Amino acid sequence: MTRNTFVRLTLVPAIALLATLALVSIGGAIWFALSNRTLRSPDYDFVGAYNFLRLLRDSRFFNALEISALWEVITVSGTLGLAVLLSVLIYETVQKPLWRNLICFAFLVPVLLPRVAAAFIWRFMYSPSLGVINYLCGLLGIGPVEFLADPSLALMSVAVVDIWQWGLFFTVIVLKLMETLPRDPIEAAMLDNARRWEIHAYVTLPMLKGPLISLALVKAVESLRSFDLIFVMTGGGPGKATETLDLYAYQMGINMGGRISYASAMSLLLLLVTTIAFTIIWKAGKKWAA
Amino acid sequence: MGRIISATLTRALLALLIVVALGPILWTVLGAFKELRDIVTPVPKLIFDPTLDNFATILRNPTIRDGLLHSAVVVSVSVLIGAVLGIPAAHTLARHARRYGDDVQFFVLSLRFMPPVAIAIPFIVIYLDLGIYDTLFGLILVYLVTTISTVIWLAVPAFDRVPRDIEEAAAMEGCSPLEVFWRFSLPVAAPSLFGAIVFTFVLVWNELLLALTLAAQNATLPVVAASITSLGKEVPWGVINAATVVLVVPPLVFIGLLMGLLNTSVQGGRK
Repeated sequence: MTRNTFVRLTLVPAIALLATLALVSIGGAIWFALSNRTLRSPDYDFVGAYNFLRLLRDSRFFNALEISALWEVITVSGTLGLAVLLSVLIYETVQKPLWRNLICFAFLVPVLLPRVAAAFIWRFMYSPSLGVINYLCGLLGIGPVEFLADPSLALMSVAVVDIWQWGLFFTVIVLKLMETLPRDPIEAAMLDNARRWEIHAYVTLPMLKGPLISLALVKAVESLRSFDLIFVMTGGGPGKATETLDLYAYQMGINMGGRISYASAMSLLLLLVTTIAFTIIWKAGKKWAA
Repeated sequence: MGRIISATLTRALLALLIVVALGPILWTVLGAFKELRDIVTPVPKLIFDPTLDNFATILRNPTIRDGLLHSAVVVSVSVLIGAVLGIPAAHTLARHARRYGDDVQFFVLSLRFMPPVAIAIPFIVIYLDLGIYDTLFGLILVYLVTTISTVIWLAVPAFDRVPRDIEEAAAMEGCSPLEVFWRFSLPVAAPSLFGAIVFTFVLVWNELLLALTLAAQNATLPVVAASITSLGKEVPWGVINAATVVLVVPPLVFIGLLMGLLNTSVQGGRK
């Protein structure tokens, strides 16, 4: 077998299968978005840009857009903030490798949980009548707080779960990255009598700027797929307080009358945003790797 | 004196952090062994008569049993195919296809980041038209997008780390590219590849949206678990906790592997 046949034989099946599935789904989404298809009836007509024009007049769509944007900002900044804070704390206070590894293990557990499981765990703890969090609030003289039923709290309460899963995971990554940094600049800063927090703010964290921005973008793309968590915890409610784009697309396309075409138009917009974000990540990643 | 106080404070803070990380899961495990009357108490109970009733309810419930079976079939088949197709492709991308390798990798990774809802909605219509809606085959087919792309994404760096000398020496001895791959590169990269497969397994095992939209009777465990809330009149918290525990156990078995994968990739990335 020559080199070229080997290359073709290994690469073609995998890439062909991926390309077919990707083209079918994207092509399908464009085709459906340009027609007026529903799950109820097999008949449909070509309607051009009608679905996209209707999106512009749909206040529920703009609400979903706003919630999605809010969700992005809260979860990305929360995750990164927590990760940087905790990794510096652990880097400074825990010196024994054994203890560091134990903490890392504990912090990796939440992100491995299925989103459905994490959602149930926290819904149970948030419960106003029997949840352990409200019991603790009660000891402090607050509550009972309706974490998931109060429109002003629901999004934050769900975001806490996301940050619990991803913030602790990113803490481990940032800590591992800090351990690989060269010691010289840090020691030079110590000779200059820099304070501990100054060393991190001006020396170690700037050295990690590239990876940190990559992590932020990865989390931004990951946050776009928040469906599982929100679906189980609140189902988009109360009202529309936690209804993100993918949840609204799901409700439109599958739950309420199956308006496939309208939902396709929406998911195409989501796809567009993701692709742009992802292209930036890729370009940036290449730049820092070089 | 001040040092001792601050040392104690940081210790307490770290202990608190570990409680925040693990506490919710341990609390759920406790809940899985409680009877409903031990759960519905104004003051949370730490000491109670443990019961296996909740797990028995789960295993006796045909919907949940089927969900477990469907999950096992769908996840193992899609991960297996993903590995068989993805690993050789990754080796070729790492070793033989430098010229267009970057573009292929970009394409593969962009699939990994595609929003699931953008796959689910067109596929529901296509599957209805083709008559494979609500079949395990249909689910496996869409999961292949995830498994193949994730395996390739993680296996390319694994093959990059295989020392070139080994492969070049083998090629000099007259080994064909297939032999080089099968007898030399694959065994050397095996540990990292195993980590990649495990990670892929966890992703597919945890997936909800695609299974929820593309299957009804033949849904996987996350879908079944997500619908338990409507089982009977009052919310069966004990049963929900038990189902959560069943859902959580398989991914957690592999936590050590994830840690290893993280260590090698962080060090590899900084070299």
